[in-house]
This record gives sequence, structure tokens and C-alpha cells, in this order.
Amino acid sequence: MLRKPFLFVVCSFMLMVYSCELPSKNTETATPSVNEGTKDEAIKNEEYVMVTTAVTMPMYVHHDQAAFLKWGKARGVKVSVLGPADWDVSEQINTIEEVIGSKPSGLLINGTDPAIAGAINKAVAAGIPTVVYDSDIPDSKRNAFLGTDWYEIGKMQGEEIASLINGRGKVAYMGILGLNNMEAGFKGLLDVFKKYPGIEVVGKFDDKANVEEAAKITSDLLSAHPDIAAFAGFDSNSGPGIALAVKEAGRAGKIKITCVDWEPEHLALVKQGVIQMLAGQKRELFTWYGAQFLYDMAHKTNKLSGNDAKAGITDIPYSVNTGLLKITKENVDQFINH
Amino acid sequence: MLQKLFENRLYAFAVVLVVIIAAASAVFSSTFPTFNNFSQILLNLSTDTIVAVGMMLLLISGTFDLSVGSTVAFVGCFTSYLMFFFHVPVPLAILLGMLCASVIGLVNGYLIAYQGINPMIQTLAMMGIIRGGALMVSGSGIQGLPYWFNVIGQSKLLGIQMPVWYMLLTVGVFSFLLNKTIFFRRYYYIGNNEKAADLSGIRVKRMKMYGFILSSLLAGAAGILLTSRLGAALPTMGRGLELKVITAVILGGASLSGGIGKMPGALLGALFMGVIGNIMVISRVSGYWQDIILGLILIAILWLDKFLQKKYEV
Repeated sequence: MLRKPFLFVVCSFMLMVYSCELPSKNTETATPSVNEGTKDEAIKNEEYVMVTTAVTMPMYVHHDQAAFLKWGKARGVKVSVLGPADWDVSEQINTIEEVIGSKPSGLLINGTDPAIAGAINKAVAAGIPTVVYDSDIPDSKRNAFLGTDWYEIGKMQGEEIASLINGRGKVAYMGILGLNNMEAGFKGLLDVFKKYPGIEVVGKFDDKANVEEAAKITSDLLSAHPDIAAFAGFDSNSGPGIALAVKEAGRAGKIKITCVDWEPEHLALVKQGVIQMLAGQKRELFTWYGAQFLYDMAHKTNKLSGNDAKAGITDIPYSVNTGLLKITKENVDQFINH
Repeated sequence: MLQKLFENRLYAFAVVLVVIIAAASAVFSSTFPTFNNFSQILLNLSTDTIVAVGMMLLLISGTFDLSVGSTVAFVGCFTSYLMFFFHVPVPLAILLGMLCASVIGLVNGYLIAYQGINPMIQTLAMMGIIRGGALMVSGSGIQGLPYWFNVIGQSKLLGIQMPVWYMLLTVGVFSFLLNKTIFFRRYYYIGNNEKAADLSGIRVKRMKMYGFILSSLLAGAAGILLTSRLGAALPTMGRGLELKVITAVILGGASLSGGIGKMPGALLGALFMGVIGNIMVISRVSGYWQDIILGLILIAILWLDKFLQKKYEV
């Protein structure tokens, strides 16, 4: 009597074990299939999708997304910007994976975190040309990367501060601790300061990309170190936060500030003489050329062999450093009027 | 028959969902009604649903937990921290992670049930504490987790990702427990009238504490599953999840005042939000609009539910 249910359980279990698929330890290198059609009428039906996180962040909207939308209009193709409104990397991954099913002509992905590598690999394996911008995801199989060298951002700020304070004085720096790109920036800054024994670094602080937090840290530091000479900020909100606290302390212009990004508020602070230098990223180039790379890949614009995919080569640049802008009081008007 | 259908919120909601799926299948015939897309929708909502099961249990008993999203992040990061930095074997690291989850639930449950602290204040405070803990143990995130840990969330059974099976199993088990066991049915009595439940001999405080422990354990399991699926621990995991889950559970028939709700409702609520989110991705609705559209649809569904209830009450 007992045998039948027992046999049923054993058979079911064996069937389950047989149907089970484990993830592969090493994913095969994907060979993206490339769209053959290059006729004008077909181009209108092409769709290029950007997937980011914090899709409503002003810096992304004004620079990355604006350039991407402009590119789509110029090329006459459909472009879409997708992703969660907040900084939510797992939701960005979900969006990438859902977009793959609709087979866009190309995917432009904001390299927010190394964890998105799996989703990028799925897109490449599905034959979708995939370009990463902003921060690289080196462990992924992305076809290309465009972005800034953050070590250079740190060096640029370090050299400017050293010059502003004549190589002597206390300096503090802040940003989002733990992010790969910012850590590279911090290293660049400290490497420059090694050449100046008169510079004393009072600390590295996490402002969590929040203006209020950056202002709070700055005012605390102003109380603890009344003789502090300069601040360096590394995320988009560090500069405005530092500037706010320095202005409130009535020491604008006396304490030197350098930071990254060039939103209207940053530019206004440079114009007022509160911030002395901005290390600006050419974010428009990330997405304009990123989209163009996707287009060129889809259209085989620069065919390098009889069959590039079969030969295992990609016919677009592997990695592009888009370079930096240096904005000071001397040239800030050029950017404000822009 | 129609009256019976609309009297039951769960059935009415399921009908609305079927109509939406049918309409989306007709409009996006090449991209929406595919096996891959549906399994992706289910995969994306699997961890949310597991957390929603715990939240459903709490809402039935008339309380809630705002720290579940942070628990997802902390348990995922802590388990990864043990495996990555201390080379703790996978099963032991998971066990220790789940132990942490139960301690979080125990602290919440004890302070709320026995010390009378307001659940919103207590779980809000816990949310901040353990989110900080997740950041502390993982920094900017931990990648390169052991292969056998990733197997848990990245394997497939019958072509469907394992997290979907875990989700169905969780909903099934808790549905059975809530329907068939006296122990779990007590949560309905507590939610309906806490004083009466106390007078009838139910140990309300203890039951409430168990509820928080179970909810935290489910959030912890979801955290481990999400970490395994991503192959990485991110301190930002589960941010805003508490509100998403409470919305799904209320959509699925629970009430903030307690006493009502069924486990399949948690699945249905999460499925509804997952399907709407997927339709918006497929139709390329920008991220700016997604939250607005989802909010408007939720209001419309709840209004329709109230309208139908009133209509058939007469």
C-alpha cells in the first residue's frame, strides 16, 4: 500500500532533479548578432534604450538624457529612457532584464554598480549591442565604455587646491565613500598632496550625496579647525553643501573650494567667488557617442573583417576617456551663457 | 454569480488583473504575452512577495513593520560579508544571516508587544539602524560571492527561475497555515479585537512577537535570495520596499485596521504591481511617469473595490 505514494514521491523528485538547471560558472562569450537592414525606412523603426537608476536626478536629466534625446532626434530613431526614479540598482537590473525581451536595437546602460554585470551579459548574449557609460563595469561583457577618469578628477582638484593655498594649510575632502569612481578620485587628490609637505589632510568625509549633510560636515569642521584652508568635494551635492556652510560662516572666498560637476547652482557659486574651481565631466559625450557607438555597431559602419562577430571583434572603441573641463571665475560665463 | 464574484475582493481583483493582462497581450502581442516575459515578471516580484507574506500576517494582526526593506539589505549584506571576508561556509553563513533576521524581529516584537512602543516609531528606528548596519558591513557592495551561494537564486526548475518556486512555496505554506491551523487563525482574532482575543485566553503579546519574528525571517530569506540572484550584496537593496509591500498587501485585500486578508492576496497584489510595471517598461513609459501612473491606478482600483462592495451590500 505504501509503495505507490513512495514511488510517486521518488519519481517526482527525480523529475525535479532532472529538470533543474544550474547557472554556468563561466558564461560563454557572446557574439552579438547585428541588424543587417540599413535602409532609411528601417532606421525609423529602430529603438535605442537608455537604462539608468535615479532617472529623475537633475544632473542625469540635464546632461546625459538631454544629449541622448537630442541624438535620437538627429538620427531619426526612437529613443527611450527607462529606470527607477530613486537610486535602486536592483530595480535597474529588473528594468534591463525586462527590456531585453523587447529586443531594442541597442542598450545604453549607466554603469552604476558592478552588480549590473549579469544583466549586461544577458543583453549581450541576446545579441543586443550594449554600451556602458559613466562608470565602467569591467567584469561584464559590455561592447564599449565611455566615461571620465576619476583619478584625473582627483588630481585636477589637488593641483588647483595646492596652487590656491600656496602649498600650505589644512584640507578636508568629501563625497560618497565606497564608490569605486570616488575612491579613485580621492587617491588622485592624495597623490598630488604627497608632493606638498605643507598640506595637512584633516579627513575624508561621507556626505551621502546630500547638500545638507555636506553643509553640516563643513560647519563642524569649521568649528573644529578654524584655520582650515580648503575643501574638495567629489559628488554632485558636495560643492553646494560646502559652499552653503562657508557662506554662512562669513568666510566665502577666504576658504578655497573645488568640486565636481557644473549644474547652474555650481556655476553661480563660481561666479560669486564662493567656489574657485569645478572639475566638469563631459557627460553629454557619454551618451551622444555611446548612442552613436550602438548605432555604428548595429549598422556595421566600420566593418573590420569578413564577419566581425565571428572573428570575435567589436567594430567600435573598447573604452573611451571623454576628458575633463576646468571651470574657474575666468571662463565661467562661457558655461552660464551656454 | 457576478454578485458573488464581486463580493469577494480577491476574485474581483483577479478579474481586473486578467482583463489588464488580456488587454496588454492584445496591444503588445509580440513582447508581452511571452513565456520569457512572464517568467521575468514573476522573478522580479518574487522577493517582494515573500516579504509581503510576512507583512500580510502582521496586517491581519493589526500591526505592520517598516524595517523589512532594511532587513532585506542587512541580512543579504551580512551573509555576504561572512562568506566573502571570513570564508564562512555557505549554509552556516545563511544560518547566521537568518539568526540576525530573527533577532531583528525579536527586538521589534518585544519592544512593541511587551513595552508598548508604537510600531511605526519602533520599526522606523530599526529601519535606520539596520540600513546603517548594511552600509557598514558591505561598504559600496560585495561582489564575487561563492558559486554555490549564487546557485540558490540563479538556478532554474522546469525553465523557471528558482526564486519564483520559493515564492510560490512560501505563499502556499503560509496560506495553508493561516487557513488550517488554530495557531495562525489566532492572528485574525487579534486583528479583529485584541482585547476580546486576550480575554479568550490568547497570549496576544507573545503572538504579536512571533508575528514580527516571522516577518523578519521572511524578509531575511528574501534578502538572501535577492543577493544570490544578483550575485552581489548591495546596501541599497530593498530601499522603499516596505511601502511597496504594504501597498501590495492592501491591494490584495488586507486592511490597516486588521482582521482581514488572505495569503494569495499578497501574491495577487504584488503580481498586479509587477504587471503594471512591466507594461510601463514595454510601452517605454519614462521613469518620471511610472510612480504617478502606478499611484493613479492604485487609487482607481481601491475606489472600484469600495464602489462594488457598496453596490452589492444593498
